[in-house]
Amino acid sequence: METIPLIGISIWLIIKIFVVIALVIYLVFAVVVVRQVQLMTETLKVGFEAPIKLFAYAHLVFAIVVLLAALLIL
Amino acid sequence: MPDIFITDSEEKDSPAPTPSVFPEPKTATQRERLTGHTHNPLASYSYFPDNVTFENREKEEKIILLLRRHPVTNLTWIMVGALMLLAPVILTVFPFLSFLPARFQFVAVLGWYMVSFAFVLEKFVVWYYDIFIITNERVLDIDFYNLIYKEVTDASLDKIQDVTYSVGGVGRAIFNYGDVLIQTAAELENLRFQAIPWPDKVAKILQDIRMEEKKAKD
Repeated sequence: METIPLIGISIWLIIKIFVVIALVIYLVFAVVVVRQVQLMTETLKVGFEAPIKLFAYAHLVFAIVVLLAALLIL
Repeated sequence: MPDIFITDSEEKDSPAPTPSVFPEPKTATQRERLTGHTHNPLASYSYFPDNVTFENREKEEKIILLLRRHPVTNLTWIMVGALMLLAPVILTVFPFLSFLPARFQFVAVLGWYMVSFAFVLEKFVVWYYDIFIITNERVLDIDFYNLIYKEVTDASLDKIQDVTYSVGGVGRAIFNYGDVLIQTAAELENLRFQAIPWPDKVAKILQDIRMEEKKAKD
C-alpha cells in the first residue's frame, strides 16, 4: 500500500526527500537571518545586540537540528 | 588723563548670550535627571540615550532622541506567537496528523516550533530595528520592513519645514502614542514617525532643536 507500483519506492521515502529539501532551503534562510542580524547590529548599536545575535544563532542551530532529525528519523 | 569711563570695545560690542531653549545635558548627572532618559535598550522613547551609535554618524553629532513604535503595537504578534507555541497541544485533543507515521508527526511538530520561533524572532527584530533618531543635525528614519530589506532616510534639520503630530483612536489615546509627520524641503518630502510614544513631546523637541539651529546660524 505504501509502495508506489512500477517504481517500487516507498511513498514515505519520497515525502522524506521533499521534507529534507524544504529543510535545506529553510537552513539557507536561517543563515540569511544570521547575516542580516549581523549587518543590522553593525548599522545600529543600542545595547541589546548580544541577545539578538544569540536568538539568531539559536534559530540557526534549531534549523540544523530539525534537518538532522529529518535525515535520521524519517 | 587716564581713561576711566571708557569700556573695553570688545565687551561693549558683543551681545549678551542668548539663553539656550534646549536643555542639552553637559554632565552625566544632568543626563540622568532628564525626563525620558533611560538605560533600557528596549525603550520606545529615550531622551539623550547612552551607548547608542549608528552607521554614518558624524563625530560631533549628538543623539537627542531615539524612538520606536510603542510596545503596545507588539501585542498582536505576541498573542499570535503564543497561540502558535501552544498549537501542538491541540493535537493531543484533535489528532490532525494521525494519518502520518509517528516519526513524521514528531518532525512536523519540531518544524512547527522552528517556524514559530522564526516568526517571533522576525517580529521582534523588525520592531527593535525600526527606529527613528533625532540628532542635533538631522532626523533619521530606519525602516526594517523584513529581515532582508531595510531603508534608511534622513533629513537635515534646516530642511524641515513643518512638523505635525496626531493621536487618533481609543488605543492611541489611552496609551498616548501617535504619528509625527515631518515635511521637508528635501527630495523625500515627508518623514513619518508612526505609533511613537508622546508625539507631542517629540514635536516640541523638534521645534526646540530647530530654534536652536536657527539661532546658531544667525
